[in-house]
Amino acid sequence: MNCTVCWLAVLLLASACAPVAPYQRGYLARPDMAFEESPGTAKALEKVFVAKEAATGSATVGGSGCGCN
Amino acid sequence: MTSLRRAAAALLCVSTGALAVEVGDPAPAVAGAPGGQVLYVDFWASWCVPCRLSMPALDALYRKHGAAGFSVVGVNKDVSEDDARRFLQRVPVTFRWVPDRDDSLAKAFGVKAMPSGYLVDRKGIVRKVHRGFTAGTAAALETEIASLLGEGK
Repeated sequence: MNCTVCWLAVLLLASACAPVAPYQRGYLARPDMAFEESPGTAKALEKVFVAKEAATGSATVGGSGCGCN
Repeated sequence: MTSLRRAAAALLCVSTGALAVEVGDPAPAVAGAPGGQVLYVDFWASWCVPCRLSMPALDALYRKHGAAGFSVVGVNKDVSEDDARRFLQRVPVTFRWVPDRDDSLAKAFGVKAMPSGYLVDRKGIVRKVHRGFTAGTAAALETEIASLLGEGK
Protein backbone atom coordinates (compact mmCIF):
# COMPACT_ATOMS: atom_id res chain seq x y z
CA MET A 1 0.00 0.00 0.00
CA ASN A 2 1.41 3.33 -0.99
CA CYS A 3 0.88 5.65 1.92
CA THR A 4 3.78 8.06 2.13
CA VAL A 5 1.84 10.35 4.44
CA CYS A 6 1.16 7.49 6.86
CA TRP A 7 4.83 6.53 6.94
CA LEU A 8 5.82 10.14 7.43
CA ALA A 9 3.34 10.43 10.29
CA VAL A 10 4.68 7.25 11.89
CA LEU A 11 8.22 8.53 11.49
CA LEU A 12 7.34 11.86 13.10
CA LEU A 13 5.45 10.21 15.95
CA ALA A 14 8.30 7.79 16.58
CA SER A 15 10.88 10.54 16.89
CA ALA A 16 11.84 11.44 20.42
CA CYS A 17 11.98 15.17 19.83
CA ALA A 18 10.51 17.50 22.42
CA PRO A 19 10.49 21.26 22.33
CA VAL A 20 12.35 22.82 25.24
CA ALA A 21 10.92 26.15 26.34
CA PRO A 22 13.41 28.90 27.19
CA TYR A 23 12.53 28.58 30.87
CA GLN A 24 13.15 24.81 30.84
CA ARG A 25 16.80 25.07 29.80
CA GLY A 26 17.83 24.18 33.32
CA TYR A 27 17.40 20.58 32.21
CA LEU A 28 19.91 21.09 29.42
CA ALA A 29 22.31 22.77 31.86
CA ARG A 30 22.54 19.67 34.02
CA PRO A 31 26.04 18.12 34.08
CA ASP A 32 24.74 14.78 32.80
CA MET A 33 23.39 16.51 29.70
CA ALA A 34 26.86 17.58 28.57
CA PHE A 35 28.27 16.03 25.38
CA GLU A 36 31.55 15.30 27.13
CA GLU A 37 31.88 13.86 30.59
CA SER A 38 35.01 15.85 31.23
CA PRO A 39 35.65 19.00 29.18
CA GLY A 40 39.34 18.94 30.14
CA THR A 41 39.91 15.38 28.91
CA ALA A 42 37.97 16.12 25.73
CA LYS A 43 40.18 19.13 25.05
CA ALA A 44 43.35 17.09 25.66
CA LEU A 45 42.20 14.26 23.36
CA GLU A 46 41.31 16.78 20.68
CA LYS A 47 44.77 18.33 20.91
CA VAL A 48 46.47 14.96 20.57
CA PHE A 49 44.24 14.05 17.63
CA VAL A 50 45.08 17.27 15.82
CA ALA A 51 48.81 16.76 16.43
CA LYS A 52 48.77 13.12 15.28
CA GLU A 53 46.73 13.76 12.17
CA ALA A 54 48.70 16.91 11.29
CA ALA A 55 45.39 18.50 10.62
CA THR A 56 45.41 22.24 10.34
CA GLY A 57 42.66 23.62 12.50
CA SER A 58 40.60 20.47 12.47
CA ALA A 59 38.21 21.23 15.27
CA THR A 60 38.87 24.94 15.44
CA VAL A 61 41.15 27.11 13.41
CA GLY A 62 44.17 27.52 15.62
CA GLY A 63 47.38 26.78 13.79
CA SER A 64 49.07 23.77 12.25
CA GLY A 65 49.48 20.22 13.39
CA CYS A 66 52.78 20.61 15.26
CA GLY A 67 51.06 20.17 18.62
CA CYS A 68 52.88 23.22 19.92
CA ASN A 69 50.04 25.69 20.11
CA MET B 1 -6.08 43.12 22.22
CA THR B 2 -5.83 39.96 24.26
CA SER B 3 -9.14 38.60 23.03
CA LEU B 4 -8.14 39.33 19.43
CA ARG B 5 -4.87 37.48 19.84
CA ARG B 6 -6.61 34.59 21.55
CA ALA B 7 -9.12 34.33 18.71
CA ALA B 8 -6.31 34.37 16.15
CA ALA B 9 -4.47 31.70 18.12
CA ALA B 10 -7.60 29.54 18.29
CA LEU B 11 -8.01 29.85 14.52
CA LEU B 12 -4.41 28.80 13.98
CA CYS B 13 -4.88 25.89 16.39
CA VAL B 14 -2.16 27.25 18.66
CA SER B 15 -2.47 26.62 22.34
CA THR B 16 -3.70 29.81 23.99
CA GLY B 17 -1.65 28.91 27.03
CA ALA B 18 1.51 29.56 25.04
CA LEU B 19 0.54 33.16 24.26
CA ALA B 20 2.98 35.62 25.66
CA VAL B 21 1.84 38.39 27.95
CA GLU B 22 2.50 41.72 26.26
CA VAL B 23 2.23 45.39 27.15
CA GLY B 24 -1.37 46.33 27.95
CA ASP B 25 -2.40 42.85 29.11
CA PRO B 26 -3.49 42.22 32.69
CA ALA B 27 -0.68 40.49 34.55
CA PRO B 28 -1.36 36.90 35.64
CA ALA B 29 -1.60 36.53 39.41
CA VAL B 30 1.66 35.81 41.18
CA ALA B 31 1.37 34.24 44.62
CA GLY B 32 2.81 36.47 47.30
CA ALA B 33 2.93 39.61 45.16
CA PRO B 34 1.60 42.66 47.01
CA GLY B 35 -1.46 44.29 45.44
CA GLY B 36 -1.74 47.99 44.60
CA GLN B 37 2.00 48.37 44.13
CA VAL B 38 4.22 48.81 41.13
CA LEU B 39 5.51 45.29 40.61
CA TYR B 40 8.34 43.76 38.64
CA VAL B 41 7.96 40.04 37.97
CA ASP B 42 11.35 38.65 37.03
CA PHE B 43 11.91 35.14 35.69
CA TRP B 44 15.41 34.06 36.63
CA ALA B 45 17.56 30.94 37.04
CA SER B 46 21.04 30.07 38.21
CA TRP B 47 21.95 28.78 34.73
CA CYS B 48 20.88 32.06 33.11
CA VAL B 49 24.04 34.10 32.49
CA PRO B 50 22.46 37.60 32.24
CA CYS B 51 20.74 36.92 35.59
CA ARG B 52 24.14 37.51 37.18
CA LEU B 53 23.69 41.09 36.02
CA SER B 54 19.94 41.47 36.48
CA MET B 55 19.60 40.22 40.05
CA PRO B 56 21.93 42.78 41.71
CA ALA B 57 20.48 45.54 39.48
CA LEU B 58 16.91 44.63 40.46
CA ASP B 59 17.93 44.42 44.09
CA ALA B 60 19.38 47.94 43.90
CA LEU B 61 16.14 49.21 42.30
CA TYR B 62 14.08 47.47 44.97
CA ARG B 63 16.14 48.98 47.78
CA LYS B 64 15.86 52.42 46.20
CA HIS B 65 12.15 52.45 45.33
CA GLY B 66 10.77 49.86 47.75
CA ALA B 67 9.61 52.42 50.26
CA ALA B 68 7.77 54.35 47.53
CA GLY B 69 5.62 51.33 46.63
CA PHE B 70 7.76 49.29 44.25
CA SER B 71 8.26 45.59 44.75
CA VAL B 72 10.02 42.79 42.91
CA VAL B 73 9.07 39.12 42.82
CA GLY B 74 11.60 36.74 41.36
CA VAL B 75 10.21 33.59 39.80
CA ASN B 76 12.88 30.92 39.87
CA LYS B 77 13.15 28.50 36.95
CA ASP B 78 15.83 26.17 38.28
CA VAL B 79 15.33 22.42 38.14
CA SER B 80 16.43 22.16 41.74
CA GLU B 81 15.87 24.80 44.40
CA ASP B 82 19.32 24.03 45.78
CA ASP B 83 20.78 25.51 42.59
CA ALA B 84 18.79 28.68 43.23
CA ARG B 85 19.98 28.92 46.82
CA ARG B 86 23.60 28.36 45.80
CA PHE B 87 23.24 31.17 43.25
CA LEU B 88 21.73 33.48 45.86
CA GLN B 89 24.62 32.83 48.22
CA ARG B 90 26.89 34.39 45.64
CA VAL B 91 24.39 36.99 44.43
CA PRO B 92 22.27 37.85 47.47
CA VAL B 93 19.01 39.72 46.97
CA THR B 94 16.54 41.23 49.42
CA PHE B 95 13.37 40.85 47.36
CA ARG B 96 11.01 37.87 47.46
CA TRP B 97 11.39 34.93 45.14
CA VAL B 98 9.14 31.97 44.50
CA PRO B 99 9.88 28.66 42.78
CA ASP B 100 7.77 27.71 39.76
CA ARG B 101 7.99 23.93 39.93
CA ASP B 102 5.12 23.11 37.57
CA ASP B 103 5.94 25.87 35.03
CA SER B 104 2.47 27.35 35.64
CA LEU B 105 3.70 30.93 36.00
CA ALA B 106 6.09 30.68 33.07
CA LYS B 107 3.25 29.33 30.94
CA ALA B 108 0.80 32.00 32.19
CA PHE B 109 3.27 34.72 31.20
CA GLY B 110 4.39 32.90 28.06
CA VAL B 111 8.07 33.43 28.85
CA LYS B 112 10.07 33.58 25.61
CA ALA B 113 13.52 34.40 26.94
CA MET B 114 15.57 34.22 30.10
CA PRO B 115 15.57 36.48 31.97
CA SER B 116 12.15 37.98 31.28
CA GLY B 117 10.79 40.83 33.33
CA TYR B 118 7.29 42.26 33.43
CA LEU B 119 6.74 45.71 34.89
CA VAL B 120 3.20 45.89 36.22
CA ASP B 121 1.46 49.12 37.29
CA ARG B 122 -0.68 49.63 40.41
CA LYS B 123 -3.80 48.51 38.52
CA GLY B 124 -2.24 45.20 37.54
CA ILE B 125 -1.61 46.02 33.88
CA VAL B 126 1.68 45.03 32.25
CA ARG B 127 3.34 48.26 31.15
CA LYS B 128 6.73 47.05 30.00
CA VAL B 129 8.28 43.72 29.07
CA HIS B 130 12.04 43.25 29.22
CA ARG B 131 13.48 40.17 27.55
CA GLY B 132 17.15 39.70 28.32
CA PHE B 133 19.08 42.07 30.52
CA THR B 134 21.89 44.55 29.90
CA ALA B 135 23.18 47.64 31.70
CA GLY B 136 20.81 49.61 29.43
CA THR B 137 17.84 47.63 30.76
CA ALA B 138 18.64 48.69 34.30
CA ALA B 139 18.83 52.34 33.26
CA ALA B 140 15.53 52.07 31.35
CA LEU B 141 13.86 50.37 34.32
CA GLU B 142 14.94 53.17 36.60
CA THR B 143 12.99 55.76 34.61
CA GLU B 144 10.04 53.45 33.94
CA ILE B 145 9.63 52.65 37.64
CA ALA B 146 9.88 56.32 38.60
CA SER B 147 7.18 57.26 36.07
CA LEU B 148 4.86 54.42 37.17
CA LEU B 149 5.31 55.35 40.83
CA GLY B 150 4.42 58.93 39.93
CA GLU B 151 1.19 57.82 38.23
CA GLY B 152 -0.50 56.65 41.40
CA LYS B 153 -0.08 59.94 43.18
